Amino acid sequence: MTAAAAIRIEGLSKRYGRTLALDEIGFEVGARELFALLGPNGAGKTTLMHILCTILRPDSGRALIGGDDVLRNPLAARRRLGIVFQEPSLDDRLTVHENLDLHGLVFGVPRALRRRRIEEMLALVELTEWVGRPVRTLSTGMKRRLEIARALIHDSEILLLDEPTVGLDAQTRGRIWQHIHALRAARDLTVLVTTHYIDEVEGCDRVCIVDHGKVLALDTPEALKRAHGGQLLRLTPRDEGCRQEILARHAARLLRAPEGGEIVLRADEALIETVLAAHGTRLRALSVEVPSLETVFLSLTGKELRDQAASLRDRTRAFGKRGGEHTR
Amino acid sequence: MSARNDAPPRRSALLIQLGGLYGIWLREVKRAIRDRGQLVGGVSRPILWVLILGIGLNPYFRGEVYGEVTFVVPFTYLQFIFPAVVALNIIYTSVQSAVSVIWDREFGFLREVLVSPLSRGTILLGKVLGGATVAVMHGCLVLMLARFADVPLTLGDIGQALGLMALLAFALTSLGVVIANRIRSFEGFGVFSNAVILPLYFTSSSIFPLNPALTGAQTRVVYPEWLVTVVEWNPLTYAIDALRGILIGYTQFDPALGISITAGAAVLLFAIALNDFRKL
Repeated sequence: MTAAAAIRIEGLSKRYGRTLALDEIGFEVGARELFALLGPNGAGKTTLMHILCTILRPDSGRALIGGDDVLRNPLAARRRLGIVFQEPSLDDRLTVHENLDLHGLVFGVPRALRRRRIEEMLALVELTEWVGRPVRTLSTGMKRRLEIARALIHDSEILLLDEPTVGLDAQTRGRIWQHIHALRAARDLTVLVTTHYIDEVEGCDRVCIVDHGKVLALDTPEALKRAHGGQLLRLTPRDEGCRQEILARHAARLLRAPEGGEIVLRADEALIETVLAAHGTRLRALSVEVPSLETVFLSLTGKELRDQAASLRDRTRAFGKRGGEHTR
Repeated sequence: MSARNDAPPRRSALLIQLGGLYGIWLREVKRAIRDRGQLVGGVSRPILWVLILGIGLNPYFRGEVYGEVTFVVPFTYLQFIFPAVVALNIIYTSVQSAVSVIWDREFGFLREVLVSPLSRGTILLGKVLGGATVAVMHGCLVLMLARFADVPLTLGDIGQALGLMALLAFALTSLGVVIANRIRSFEGFGVFSNAVILPLYFTSSSIFPLNPALTGAQTRVVYPEWLVTVVEWNPLTYAIDALRGILIGYTQFDPALGISITAGAAVLLFAIALNDFRKL
């Protein structure tokens, strides 16, 4: 496994001011593996991706892409990588074909091969009939597919996908994943994908759950469910008194209880009986959740999703979207 | 380590850089051509300056004070301002395309090329050459108005002018990139227009000549001293002066000075831009 590792990460740390984005993180992704990096927003997934694609320097540790150190030999590492960033990086004003052709030129793909690849990849992501259209006329999901196709125009062996499905509706997300599986079959790819949609990682070979820049768990989806996925009991008490009572009585099993929100407990049949018997009449809602990656995630991190305030960049982007400053 | 025997032939390193350079240059040019807003500016600006301001101020150009001609430039105002408008169009377009670096950097495209096998130098050079090409094209839009400004042009003049315009455009696009690299958030092109372009333009002896009949000391009496100093320190003054020398044969300084200052600025600014760019 070690010799064939497509991606090897050893003790990577990265600090932004007072925030430790990555804390001595380390793992390996095997060749031709579909590997998912799962974590809430701000877990350090994107930081890790940026280090892997050589645009960010870690404070310590090292990362190897197919044997090439991203710090010492970034050009060789980049040639192996196909990258889809979290934020769209297509040129809106160019056509689908021009975007792909530019990518080929920039990566030094000879003309004949470029033409063939563009055709193949467009067919795989079902965008062939859009080839001459300006990118800005495409839907968000189509743009995503185009970006994935673009990452495979050169001889990439390892595909890095940073939140490829974020902001897309469920149907489009499903479609993107279909394409990822199809491309993987067609090109013998290693795929490292980050996401915070838990339902998406079921089909992956292995899942690595990260939070606060650390690996919390790493295994196949089934093994993770077996090891960490107990039943969950979600409770919404009618009144504050009942809430306090439950919290006091089941503190040991408590996973999360946000102010005014529902209480989530690690559950088994006996606990459900007890809770129902003691507080049954004073509950507004109760639900039992069977083991899934969702419950694994919740029991490991104690949270569901973290929300972020709009950053300066988001505002600038919003400005661009609104305004049509013609420098965009 | 993982030698793939079915790998297609790879291009040589130099060829990759050249291909990438071409790709980035082509992207800049295509984008600019498709941007109608930019094109409208490129056409309307010279029309406003040459046809309206130029023609409107034409009668007042002979500086008569109480019936006494204080100095005479042997050209109409329209002719005088014409080369400066060529430069103005180049300034606007250069800085504008450089500002797109901010967008590229924050949202997308730049990231995509930063993870490619291209060196930072190639990326920047492609970007600057692309911006400069577009700027020269916009400069040519003004040259097409030459007949209306009574500026007779020979092919030789045009050739020389294009050379200087390209140099100027290269320097200004680099300047734009230097500024763009120092800006973290973006509030619009208007800021650039008012804080960089117009001050640079107005203090470059573009819309009024320093009096050629006066000595340096006398000039400082006629104009406020600070203004003369600013004009003399503005490198653009010499570039526009040299362009004026080529297009209408009137210069206030040595034309060689203009060419060497522009070339020097181009090299220096590109070097600074490259230095910044390496840190991205």
